[in-house]
Amino acid sequence: MQVALKIWRYDPEGGDRALREYEVDAPEWVTLLDVLDLIKDRQDGTLAYRKSCRMMICGSCGMRMDGAAVLACKTRMYDIAEAGHVPVISAMGNLPIVKDLVVDMAPFWQKFRAMKPWLEPGYVEPPDGKEHRISQERMNVIHKESLCINCGCCVSECNSMESDPEFLGPQALAKGMRFVGDPRDGRKVERLEDYNSEHGIWDCTRCYFCTERCPKGVDPRDAIAKLGAESVKEGITRDMGAKHAKWFVTSAKTTGWLRETELVPKTQGVVSSIKQMKFAMSLAKHGKVPPPVPPHVADKVDEARALHEIVSAQDRRGFLGHVQGERAIARIERAVEEDPEHATASRDAADVTPGRRLTRRTAD
Amino acid sequence: MRKVAYYKGCLASLSAKELDTSTRALAPKVGLELEELETVTCCGAGDIHEADPDFYLHLNARILAYAEATGAETLMTVCNVCTLNLRQANAMLSNDDELRGRVNENLQSVGVPAYSGKIDVRHLLWEIAEGEGYELLKQAAHKGLKGLRVAPFYGCQILRPSKLLGFEDPDRPWSLERIIEACGGEAIDYPAKIKCCGFPIIQAREETALGELIQPIEQASEAGADAIVTPCPLCHLSLDAWQSKLKAATGKDFRMPILHLSQLVGVAAGLEESELKFRRHVVPVTPVVEKLEV
Repeated sequence: MQVALKIWRYDPEGGDRALREYEVDAPEWVTLLDVLDLIKDRQDGTLAYRKSCRMMICGSCGMRMDGAAVLACKTRMYDIAEAGHVPVISAMGNLPIVKDLVVDMAPFWQKFRAMKPWLEPGYVEPPDGKEHRISQERMNVIHKESLCINCGCCVSECNSMESDPEFLGPQALAKGMRFVGDPRDGRKVERLEDYNSEHGIWDCTRCYFCTERCPKGVDPRDAIAKLGAESVKEGITRDMGAKHAKWFVTSAKTTGWLRETELVPKTQGVVSSIKQMKFAMSLAKHGKVPPPVPPHVADKVDEARALHEIVSAQDRRGFLGHVQGERAIARIERAVEEDPEHATASRDAADVTPGRRLTRRTAD
Repeated sequence: MRKVAYYKGCLASLSAKELDTSTRALAPKVGLELEELETVTCCGAGDIHEADPDFYLHLNARILAYAEATGAETLMTVCNVCTLNLRQANAMLSNDDELRGRVNENLQSVGVPAYSGKIDVRHLLWEIAEGEGYELLKQAAHKGLKGLRVAPFYGCQILRPSKLLGFEDPDRPWSLERIIEACGGEAIDYPAKIKCCGFPIIQAREETALGELIQPIEQASEAGADAIVTPCPLCHLSLDAWQSKLKAATGKDFRMPILHLSQLVGVAAGLEESELKFRRHVVPVTPVVEKLEV
């Protein structure tokens, strides 16, 4: 079959980017990586991309197809070629481009190392000299997080990282959860303290791009939620993100609905809230700041309060509260068919998710 | 008329009342009979899910149980975040008998009916983008949008994770475009239409959030949009109310009107200002109103 691709080339010498089209004759079973190999072998030896294992293990061949990060070796081309679609291939986002489809992974590994991604044993050796045994159920807590192959597809698409390049990001935090949840590790609380940094857990904007893109089912957003829950359980709630989350819990068990007007002082503290007064007044004019008195109280809110007491007593706080739902979610087959027919013009852009910092840089 | 259990959530009850009034006025025109859920709470907005996941599951199970008790087959939402939170809890409860059993025992111990796991959670967007709702929408939108250039902004939690949302391809969504065109508007295409508005972290990380927020507004503005439409009141609040902060941060004054989905369709269907409540917006909708002679 004929397979056509458009590839965003990048020349590190002059810094130019150009969209080039290629077409090759290929067997029906080819993957995107196979097609790149054919192009490099037969048409243009200067094309640069990373690869190694060819079987979704090494994590080398992350790149974008039509703006979405994929593993090239996992992406079959038959349906795309048969539909007559010519996909646009580009380098991953949120990382500097070295050449063509090759990105500099140095910032990725720097954040990875910052998580201290090794076990720091904190368990007691059995006195009889036998091995330290852990139940499968307990290891299930970090099953998904252990599947990561460090390909960077999640990082490529992270909306928070586009705006804050220092954000630890989905891969590093999922790796952090892999150790926070490991029953053999002895530094759980210290790790949570570290991960609650300015560019840590609470920097996540819940866009779910990481979860959508991950080719291995790691579900980094879920891992970040587990870290958040475990931090709250351990009383590590100094971050405004944690305070914000806790206020929703308080609201739900007192009035049932979000106590919106009190959310800002409860999150940011009284001093910062006063600085926001002018902004708040501009919203209040349009009814965007509902008066807290009388409170908007849900019917039978005592039921919600009673449920809170029950679940607190049953103690599935922290990551265990998330893990209990994973089995059910895992049973769902991927529901949505991809729809290459419904083209969007934006897919031809060099960067479909153009990353850039706001304020100071834009003001220049 | 098809009866649906209507869950309006926090924002439509409070700071985005215009979403509630326009939804109620629009519903009968697209064949929906809304039975409002009275005995419900906040879905937790992703925050309770993060801080206290077991409480999140129980709160949402309670909402699903009361929705089922109305006899409707569908719980209809008007917010992306409510949609994801409820669909996620629903997926957990309906695919795991043991978990549902435990949650039901807790619900019943405080007087809430047990939940069978059978109700479907759907957003208003999905109700009117296909099927009978879409056919009725085409008839209802008799006033049209006179070629208004509208930029669709989906927001995150109605697209991703697609495993839990599942209505359309999260990278090539079509529902908002289809509705804009059915109403006689022109749909604008731009890359950031599927990205994040920054709302979940707008209080804890304002600068990072604004860096996200500027993308859709700037791109839609450069593409010549007259307005942005969104199915999510949190995206709406961020795009509308925080636009002034973009001006302070960047010096750019976009003055981009932001419409709720129910307002955009409502305008085309001839709803009154008392139902649309454009005066509740921070960025004036005046240019749109004048163009369409609302």
